[in-house]
Amino acid sequence: MAKTTSSHTPTLLSVPLIERLLSAAMEKGGEFAEVYVERNESCAVVLEEKKVKSAQAGLSQGVGVRVIAGSKVGYAYSDDLDDEALFRAARTAALIAQGGGSEQAFNVARTALPTFYRLVTPLANVGVEEKVALVVRANKAAHAYDKRVKQVIATYADSTKRVLVANTQGRLAEDTQDLCRLATHVVAEGKKGDRRTGFYGGGGRVPFSHFDTFTPELVATEAARQAVQTLGASDAKAGQQTVVLAPGWSGILLHEAVGHGLEADFIRKGTSLFAGKENQKVASDLVTVIDDGTVANARGSLNVDDEGNPAQFKVLIERGVLKGFMYDALNAKLMGHSSSGSGRRESFKHLPLPRMTNTYLAPGESTHDEILHSVDSGIYCAHFGGGQVDITNGNFVFEVSEAYEIHKGKVGRPLKGVTLIGVGPEALKNVSMVGNDPMPDPGLGTCGKDGQSVPVGVGLPTLRIDNMTVGGTRLGGGA
Amino acid sequence: MSTDYQALAKKLMARAKKKGAQQAEVFIEVGREASVRVRDGEIEDLTQATSKGVGVRVFVKKRLGFAWTSDFTEGSLNAFVDRAVALAGAAAPNTLNGLPDRSDLRGHHDVGALFDPKVANLRPEWKIEAAIEMEKAGKSVDPRIKTFESVGAGESVSEVYLASSEGFTGGYQGTYAYLFAVPVAAEGDQLQTSYWVDYKRFLDKLDSPEAVGKEAARRAVRMLGAKKVKSQRVPVIFDPMMAASFVGSIASAANGDAVFKQSSFLASKLGEKIAPDTVTIVDDGLLKDGIATSPFDGEGVPTRTTRLVDRGVLSAFLYDAFTARKAKTHSTGNASRGYRTMPHIGTNNLYLEAGSQSPEAIIKGVKNGFYVTAMLGHGANMVTGEFSRGANGLWIENGELTRPVQEVTVAGKLLDMLQSIDAIGNDLTFRGNTAAPTIRFKELTVSGE
Repeated sequence: MAKTTSSHTPTLLSVPLIERLLSAAMEKGGEFAEVYVERNESCAVVLEEKKVKSAQAGLSQGVGVRVIAGSKVGYAYSDDLDDEALFRAARTAALIAQGGGSEQAFNVARTALPTFYRLVTPLANVGVEEKVALVVRANKAAHAYDKRVKQVIATYADSTKRVLVANTQGRLAEDTQDLCRLATHVVAEGKKGDRRTGFYGGGGRVPFSHFDTFTPELVATEAARQAVQTLGASDAKAGQQTVVLAPGWSGILLHEAVGHGLEADFIRKGTSLFAGKENQKVASDLVTVIDDGTVANARGSLNVDDEGNPAQFKVLIERGVLKGFMYDALNAKLMGHSSSGSGRRESFKHLPLPRMTNTYLAPGESTHDEILHSVDSGIYCAHFGGGQVDITNGNFVFEVSEAYEIHKGKVGRPLKGVTLIGVGPEALKNVSMVGNDPMPDPGLGTCGKDGQSVPVGVGLPTLRIDNMTVGGTRLGGGA
Repeated sequence: MSTDYQALAKKLMARAKKKGAQQAEVFIEVGREASVRVRDGEIEDLTQATSKGVGVRVFVKKRLGFAWTSDFTEGSLNAFVDRAVALAGAAAPNTLNGLPDRSDLRGHHDVGALFDPKVANLRPEWKIEAAIEMEKAGKSVDPRIKTFESVGAGESVSEVYLASSEGFTGGYQGTYAYLFAVPVAAEGDQLQTSYWVDYKRFLDKLDSPEAVGKEAARRAVRMLGAKKVKSQRVPVIFDPMMAASFVGSIASAANGDAVFKQSSFLASKLGEKIAPDTVTIVDDGLLKDGIATSPFDGEGVPTRTTRLVDRGVLSAFLYDAFTARKAKTHSTGNASRGYRTMPHIGTNNLYLEAGSQSPEAIIKGVKNGFYVTAMLGHGANMVTGEFSRGANGLWIENGELTRPVQEVTVAGKLLDMLQSIDAIGNDLTFRGNTAAPTIRFKELTVSGE
């Protein structure tokens, strides 16, 4: 699927200029220097109260220069790209090394890259009226779904980001990363004035024609269905219960509960519960976790990471045994490992960190129905809201925006106020059945870490987890 | 040579009008920032940066267009103004659209100094020493403080300029400095973390690095050995940091836009008693030395003091110009924005007024209950008013903090929670733009085993 190509667009900075910047960055005697240049064109359309509220466009560009001396990092960035600003950034970052240093010349050569998402027409070149048409259609479809739909917010956003990264190891990589997402948020109102919300959407590093099949009607109808179908929901019973997670977007739980704890910075600093547990059993035999930056057109995919290393397919946990971590170049070096192509940054204003790309739980053997039928009493988690994890103690929390009670193997009444809470590794040990159904999410996720947001893919098949703590306001009696 | 950004803002505004906009507004941000993090007494990273950007908002025949850029070359700036005007053509006309009226762009208050030359001239050595001091002080608290997730210091210097075609141009400069410590405590198989921070506009007002490092460490160590508890309904206390987060949830339900759309559980409650007399929640854009204090908001409207909840009565909502026009009222000076975002309703300095009891006395009054010091998840639904978040903290037995607790949730309905506040502490301190003293809820559901 991956083809090797070289970039045809004009380069963001000329090779001789990059080489001179690297020399300036190394003039105080650093061991490694890197120049990162970015130009990001974005577009967004918002519809609310049945009107296209605004159309907007943005351009962000800048350079970040990183110099490493021992384990110390100097970083400087600027959003001016004139020579004076570029050299000022390079010389500022250089100051982390306090040595004398000497004039050195560095040569960089372009690296051939695989491509997992090259678009014939960049999203920035698609007319804004076509983007407006998507949100107009979504609004119409959501209102047409049911007259209890009272409010619809439909948004479309895209970006075409060009990045260039070059370093004193001779590497020069350039990539164009398109990304888009169409989303619809719906509020429905029931007879007694109760209100429920629904949210759905998706996209990825896909051509605009993606929305010919992943239509605004499909997106809007799903959001409206979530809101309408959960009207009249009852309070969830608090305490420990068996939960079944719907396939797809539920992968956000895996991302938070396990994924972050496998990022190399937390491991090196000894601040993750998974530190020092390589080749140990950390999950049920049924659990295999993969981070794959090479999925065609997926939201979290990368031809090259933000340090110039190609993205990889990585098995993190194999049949319950911890196999590996996600490395950026600096943590890899300090840990005697090689980069796994996981060095990502939100923009030139940020230092790269080890991050997830597309993180999946591999399919198992059970059918969706077999899993449901196996549960006498529990909760079916159909759609998740947000979640958060404390890497250090492993505590995670998720809001389940669409939940139903499971009674004797059947999905029953809608529930509200369902929150799942647990400790990552313990929850993984309690995975008792794994589905064989399709698992990627539709392209919704954005992950935050240290104040940096990056797009990610998540996914898991239908999953049964036992003894999960469910938060709520109603205290239950018995199991 | 430095650029005259005020003049640039006016020039771009004039171009937008010439290109067909009936109204135009230009917002420019210019800044620089620096930060240091340390590890084991050495620099881990040192970052220095300069940044700037401009956003232009135009109305063409009552249609809204918006564009922003960080590319200040002349050709690019002109092209981006033209782009904003062109984009307006893609939006729908709305008679309520427009910049704040001329009358709303007058009467700016003197907010005092926002800029501290000591912060603007802070040397990297000061930050390095402060961070090392925090690390050392934290480790001295207890040998179980194994490491720090991160510990550091930094400062930010920024300038804001605004030009509105409705007769206002203005600008201001501000600074802030900050310290943060995120220690990790270890014992047996368990790791626990916490954090402590301080943000101040003026360097002399900033807590000492030693105090920040020690408090962070104390909070992490006391969580070692944390366990679940049984599900039960008990009195629950939020410490000041958690109380501030709760007050933030209430303020986001007082967002005039959510209220207008009936998407807030507070929408129909204006003028009603929603909390005991002791509860007063204030949004104050004029607070002396406040991190979020400024002479005008993101669309040039003077900031002010707004009592959202006044002695228990829901007394106001927060508005920007567009939403105020929809709701037939006036902007409260709460248009929040950066150059990349259009103005939207946000809070300035937000706080719950202090009460009379000491935090110790509030804890003393609880026989069996939960003192919450950290929460996870977003968990407060503004539409339905349901609150459910993961919580960590300390269990209270006979008026004493006894054992650490994790992996539980606290849940309730925000309206019930407000009514059930039965104690408010005298410990109101700002460490950012939202603050609250210790508060106690008569009873909430804690879910665990």
